[in-house]
Parts: sequence; structure tokens; C-alpha cells
Amino acid sequence: MVLGVSFVDQLSTALVIGVITGGVYALVALGLVLVYKASGVFNFAQAEFGTVAVYAAYAALEFAGLPYGIALLVGVSAGVAMGLATERLIIRPLFDAPRVTLLVATAGVALLVIGVQFWRANDPALRVLAPISNELERVRVFGISVSDQRIVILLVLAATAAGLALFFRSPGGLAVLAASQEPTAAELVGVSVRRVSSLTWGVAALLGSLAGLLSAPISNFSPGFLTAGASGALIPGFTGAVIGGMTSMPGAVVGGLLVGIVESLGGLNALEGIPGARSLLVFASLLVVLLVRPQGLLGRAAA
Amino acid sequence: MSAVDDPTAGHPAPGSEPDGSGLPVEAAPIDAETAAAVRAAAPRPDRFRPAAAGWIGRGVVWAALAWVVLCLPGNIASPVSLSATEARGASEAVVFAIIGLSLNVLIGYAGQISLGHQAFVGIGAFTSAFVVTELGQEFWLGVIVAALVGALQALLLGGVALRVTGLYFALITLSYGVMVQQSLFNVESLTGGVAGRDAPLPTGVSSAYGYYYVCLGLLALVLWLDWRLTRTKAGRALLAVRENPRVAATLGIDIRGYTVLAFMVSGFFAGIGGALFAHRDGFVVAEPFTFQLALIFIIMTVVGGLRSRSGVVLGSAFFALMGDGILLKLLRLEGFFENVVKLPSEFVPLVLGPLLLLLTLTLYPGGIGQQVAPVRGWLLGGRFDRHAGAVKEVQVTDVRA
Repeated sequence: MVLGVSFVDQLSTALVIGVITGGVYALVALGLVLVYKASGVFNFAQAEFGTVAVYAAYAALEFAGLPYGIALLVGVSAGVAMGLATERLIIRPLFDAPRVTLLVATAGVALLVIGVQFWRANDPALRVLAPISNELERVRVFGISVSDQRIVILLVLAATAAGLALFFRSPGGLAVLAASQEPTAAELVGVSVRRVSSLTWGVAALLGSLAGLLSAPISNFSPGFLTAGASGALIPGFTGAVIGGMTSMPGAVVGGLLVGIVESLGGLNALEGIPGARSLLVFASLLVVLLVRPQGLLGRAAA
Repeated sequence: MSAVDDPTAGHPAPGSEPDGSGLPVEAAPIDAETAAAVRAAAPRPDRFRPAAAGWIGRGVVWAALAWVVLCLPGNIASPVSLSATEARGASEAVVFAIIGLSLNVLIGYAGQISLGHQAFVGIGAFTSAFVVTELGQEFWLGVIVAALVGALQALLLGGVALRVTGLYFALITLSYGVMVQQSLFNVESLTGGVAGRDAPLPTGVSSAYGYYYVCLGLLALVLWLDWRLTRTKAGRALLAVRENPRVAATLGIDIRGYTVLAFMVSGFFAGIGGALFAHRDGFVVAEPFTFQLALIFIIMTVVGGLRSRSGVVLGSAFFALMGDGILLKLLRLEGFFENVVKLPSEFVPLVLGPLLLLLTLTLYPGGIGQQVAPVRGWLLGGRFDRHAGAVKEVQVTDVRA
């Protein structure tokens, strides 16, 4: 950031940058909340659905020479296929296992996928996926130019959040909730718990794929880029989901955007001398939210 | 560990429904202590006593195990000669075992997950390095201070954060770990910044071989403390808290207090592990203490098998040796992966580790502890029971979300 800019200017800049980066976090957070609502699992493989989609789309684009739209479709299908496979091979056999086992299992899936990516695609390590449109300065907000890609992310985010919030009020969404709260009773009233489980993991993987495919073109990508590293969105996504309440779709969006804003506030000049000010601020805000409102900002308190 | 086998454990007063035979009902609620005492007498001689040949067989296996642990890494009475790198790998396996036991206290006994354990280990490493190089103190003092600092930060973090439990607590530790890694580890005056800090071998220990035995001694200490913990009032209270917090609370157990205590013990062990980690390498930098390391710590503990000391030690050691590629070298498997599967050896741990993890979890929910339970029972003088150690308590929610 430029030195000598007034504090208010810096704040507004941080706000814009925060919302832009928070959009990806919120997309990841939506997928996390969906799986948590449906299976009670903290899904550490959520970001890997995205990287699988990105690598598949990249391969379709660069090696098979398919058009961009088709390549994105290939990416999304690969991500969803991985989500369904994870559900079938890992989650379903562990249906009765303790939550910690499931958490470790999804972390294992993530590490396996990252491992395979390192093995097959580490040369060159950094790759670039073309953006949807090359327009880098569609609008300027508070002097920050916002690219088309960023706008698309925010639009997709709004659409999916609204869609999911509506879905959980529909009969299908209620079936998902029923299956997670009382699997046996849900079966008795005719809800197929297995199908519901496949459905939620498929949709979650779709959300993860969108997060990956839309955020990868912003800079370059490398194996496991969405889980860790500079552009990692998994940990901020988790933080956002928990801040938002872990069971609320709008909460996930608000939480994700908030984490983005808090992170970019860490880049203020006033905090320059403190190493890791971003993560310090994120940790502090997570702690405050959970201690003051353990059910999260938009979550409902357990009875 | 013990009360679970007693079907009445979760319900304090089921003894009030006798079958009308007029038998006294006082025998029904077997408390954890009695169950533990019964279990302590596990190799019951009245039931099964191995023949002389059986004892010889067990003795041979015991001797082989002792040789692998005590002699092989130090090149004592050993047909193969291990390099210093391999001895350092063996030390790392022992250090990981200590870290695994540290997590086992928290996850296995208290039922809470820490996703920021890399920070605990890292702080232990930097503390010990600071005490030794900046303050000019002895290695032993460094280890003690590191362990105490580990317990102290667990007290501070747990005192604040353990008002929430389960996955929420896990998230706080995750965020704490990232914060410590990016913020605290970059404070120049404490950690030496990017350059890191020197952490020399202890005085009187001249080689990687000698250092292995230092680590082994501390692992023995940690195992002993862990064993004592499970056999005391605190250990039984934790068991009750994990199995059923409400019942525990009605029995007057301070749930939060004991959970914080378990977190402190975990931090204490992690501090020891961190100090050993630092002095093994000779220096300590912030770079390895990433979130991935925390994931690997959790994975090795769960794969090892929660609440199974032998399982956790084996699992942790396995993941340490696997990550170093030393296991493949020892088993002469490098060529197989290079040529047959076309998997370059540097990627073997990355791909094979998680794969083994997933297979273990889906096929053996009790982890390595379950897999080795028959052998363990046999070594302790019992029959070779293929079904020993099968997890009966999977239904119990390990972590309250």
C-alpha cells in the first residue's frame, strides 16, 4: 500500500480488498457449512475439490484444447466426481465413527489429493488458468480497480448463498436436516439417508469446484494452493463459517467476507511493525466472537 | 478405557431392575477403579499359562523388539551399520512418539482436538533454543523450561478458549496455530527471525547416536507420566467427562478444570517434544511448523489408535520414518516404487501416507493399536486372540460437537 495515504483512505481500501478476497472464503465457507449441516463433519477436503476441478479444467484447456466453457464444465464435473467418490468411499463406511475420525479422514483425503498433485503436476509447479474475461478494471471502488473475475466471484457467491438458503426451506432441504439429526427416523418417513448424503457431498463439491475455478485465475496455482499457502482459502473459510455460526448459509457469507476484511485490515500501515498482524487479528476476532456469541453471529443457540 | 466395557457405565443406577431372584444389587455398578484393577491383572494365570515353548517364543520376540529399540539405532551389536542421518531419523521417530502421546492426552482422554499442535511443538523448540543459546544454560534446563512454557500456554489458551468445546475449540486452536506460526515465530528477538536459532546437542552427547538415547529416555518418562495420569483420580475424571459430561458434572467433576488440566499435560509433553525436535536438528527455524504438520500430528495419533499407548507410539514412529523416507530405505523398497509404480521416492510419503491412513480408518477404526492388540496380548503371556482390541466404543462420540 502507498505510504502517506490518509487513514480513512486506507480503511476504505482495506474494506474493498477485504470483500474481494473474502468472496472466495465465503464460497468455501458455504460448502463447509453445507457438509456440517448435513453430516456434522468438518470437511478438510473442501478446498481440494476446488484444486481437482482446477487441474482438470487446466488439462482440458491446455492438453485437450477444449473451449473455455467446456473446460470449466470438465473441471466442475471432476470436482463433483471427487466429492461423490469421497462420500462413497470414505464418509459412508465411517457413518458411525466418532467425529474426530471423520475429521482426520477428510484431512487424509486432502493430503492424498495434494500428494497426487505434487507427484503428477509439480513440473512446472506454478501454472496459470485463464480468467473468464481479461478485463481487469471493470469498476473502481474507492480507487481500487475490481476485475471482472472478482465481480463474477461475488455474483456467484450471492446466487449460491441465496439458492442454498432457499433450498433449506424446501422439502428437499428439510429432508437433509432430518437425515442428519435422526437418520433412523428420517428413513422411516421415507427419506433415503444415503441419497441425501450423496446429494449434499455432491453439492458441496460443486461449491468447492466453483471456488477453485473462479479463484485460480486471480494469480497462479500450484498443488494444494487452495488449502494452504498465500492463496489458501480453507482456514479462512473455516474461520468465516464458525464466525457466521456454522449452520447458517447467510452467516457463512457474512463470516467469510468478515474474515477477508479483518485480514486486509492487518495490512494497515499502523500495524506495519507487527509480524503476522493479519493472522493475529483473525485469531483475536474468532476468539471474541466465540466467547461472546458461541453460536456465531447468525447461528441459532442450541436449546 | 475401562468403564466402557462395563455396560452400566453410562447409566448410574441400572441396578434397580433385578430379575426378582432376590440377589443383592450392590454388585451392579462396577466403578472405573475396580474395572481398571481387574484389567491390570489381565494376564490371568488361572485362565491361561503358556507352555515353556510359548515363553521361549515370547522371550525371543521381546528380545528382538528390545534390540530394535535399544541397539539398532546406536549401532550396538548390530549387523547393519546405520548412518548418522538414519540415527537422526530414529530420534525423530521417538520425538514424534512423544508428540503423538501429547495429542493422545488431549484427543483420547479429554475428547478435544487441537489443530494447532505445531505451535505447541514449535514454541517448545524455540524456548529450548532460546534458553540454551541466548541464556547459556544447559540442555536439560531448556527441556524443562520448554515443557513448563508448553503447559503455561495451554493454561492460558485453554482457560480462555475451553469455554467452547469440540469442533469450535479445534477451530480456535487451528487459528492459534496459524497466528503463532505467522506472528510469534517472526519476532526477531525471540526466535531469531528468518535465520532462526542454534540448538546444539546437549553437553556430554557427541553424536546423533547418543542423542537418540536422550530422546528414548524422555519418551520413557512421558510414557510413565501418561500411565500415571490414566491411573489417578484425574485420569478417571477425564474418562467420565469424555464418556458423558452430564453424568460427570452431577458427580461433582469440574469438567472445564479437568479438560484444561488435560490440555496442560498435552502442552507439557508437546514442549518436551519440541525441545527434542530443535536439538536434534542443531537449529530451529519457523518454516516447518505449518498447519500441514499439525494435520500430520493428528493423523499419526488417530492412525496409531487413540487411548492405546503402544499404538500411538508405533503410529507416530511410522509416520516419522515414512516422512523421512528412511523406512523405505530400510525395507529396500525405493526401487519398487521408482520402477514398478513410477512413483519417485520423494513423493512416496506424500501419496502413500494418506492412503494408508484412509485404509486404516475404514478397515480398522481402532488404528494400529487395534492391529497390534493380538500381538500385545500374546507378548504379555495371553493367548493369541485375533479379535483382541476390536473397538467396542466407536459408538461413543469422541468429540462433542
